[in-house]
Amino acid sequence: MIQVTEDTRNGWRVVTVTGRADAESADTLEATLRSAVESNARVVADFAALVYISSAGLRAVLQAARVAQSRGSEFAVCSLTEFVRKVFDMSGLNKILHIHGELPC
Amino acid sequence: MLTMLEEVVLLAVDESTGGLRSRGSFGTAYALVGAVFFDLALARRIDTDTEAVTILDRSPTGSAVLDRVLAAMAQRGDITSVRQWIEEIFYRRDDLEGEALASLIRQGILRHEKSKRLWIIDVERFPIVDNRTQRDVRVRIADAILSDTIPNTRDIMLVSIAEPCGLLNYVLTEDQITARRERIQLLRNLETISRKVAHAINDVETSMHHGAPRIM
Repeated sequence: MIQVTEDTRNGWRVVTVTGRADAESADTLEATLRSAVESNARVVADFAALVYISSAGLRAVLQAARVAQSRGSEFAVCSLTEFVRKVFDMSGLNKILHIHGELPC
Repeated sequence: MLTMLEEVVLLAVDESTGGLRSRGSFGTAYALVGAVFFDLALARRIDTDTEAVTILDRSPTGSAVLDRVLAAMAQRGDITSVRQWIEEIFYRRDDLEGEALASLIRQGILRHEKSKRLWIIDVERFPIVDNRTQRDVRVRIADAILSDTIPNTRDIMLVSIAEPCGLLNYVLTEDQITARRERIQLLRNLETISRKVAHAINDVETSMHHGAPRIM
């Protein structure tokens, strides 16, 4: 299960993701992040409460980053839990995405 | 739309002769197993994390190859890791390349020719009937590697399979591959399945280097 909420803070669209990003929830995550980067210049995904991410979840985040890149929007993720950080490090996603220790706004 | 397995097998067909470029290597065999797992992931039948594979849906996909692998996975609840499954399907892989070729022939992309060399040796060729599909695959691989933009999921998977099959040489020059080695590794590392395929190939090469091949 995943829960995604959005709000705007200091010019950033903040997408707060709670729960598990897996095959079951990947479409919801990707659609929300894509929609956010399509209509905002600066988007950050707050993963402080994201406890698990699978390959399907990683693809969703990466494809949202791809859309942001193609539109010239700024996209970042922040506040990774230990498990999620490990997955990002192993896959090399940390070399592609902008990752902040905490919310940049 | 072609499967990942079909795309990479099509890439292995020599455009001018219809011969296969990569037949028989361990790298190719493991990479084709990886392609099947990518196809199952794209069909939303499996998901993976850094180690484990999860079956999400056991319903048929419509592809005989994928459905056979999926059925095998459903019967073996004792195997849970991506690496174990790559080895399991590698050993029981049957003829993934042959099945992909047969599908490409059915779709009118290739045709099948049989001839004799020195009157006794059977020679099979698969001349390309419609080269647009293979060209599209080449362009997608070249774009994914030569650009600095984030590729789409299928193109990341395609590079991840083509590289261990030794097929990048047919898309890019040696200089381009050398210059973009870091980018190729970055793309190949993104997916758990291709990381585990790389480990499997590396283990075979290491054991062969030490004179005791684990897999014959």
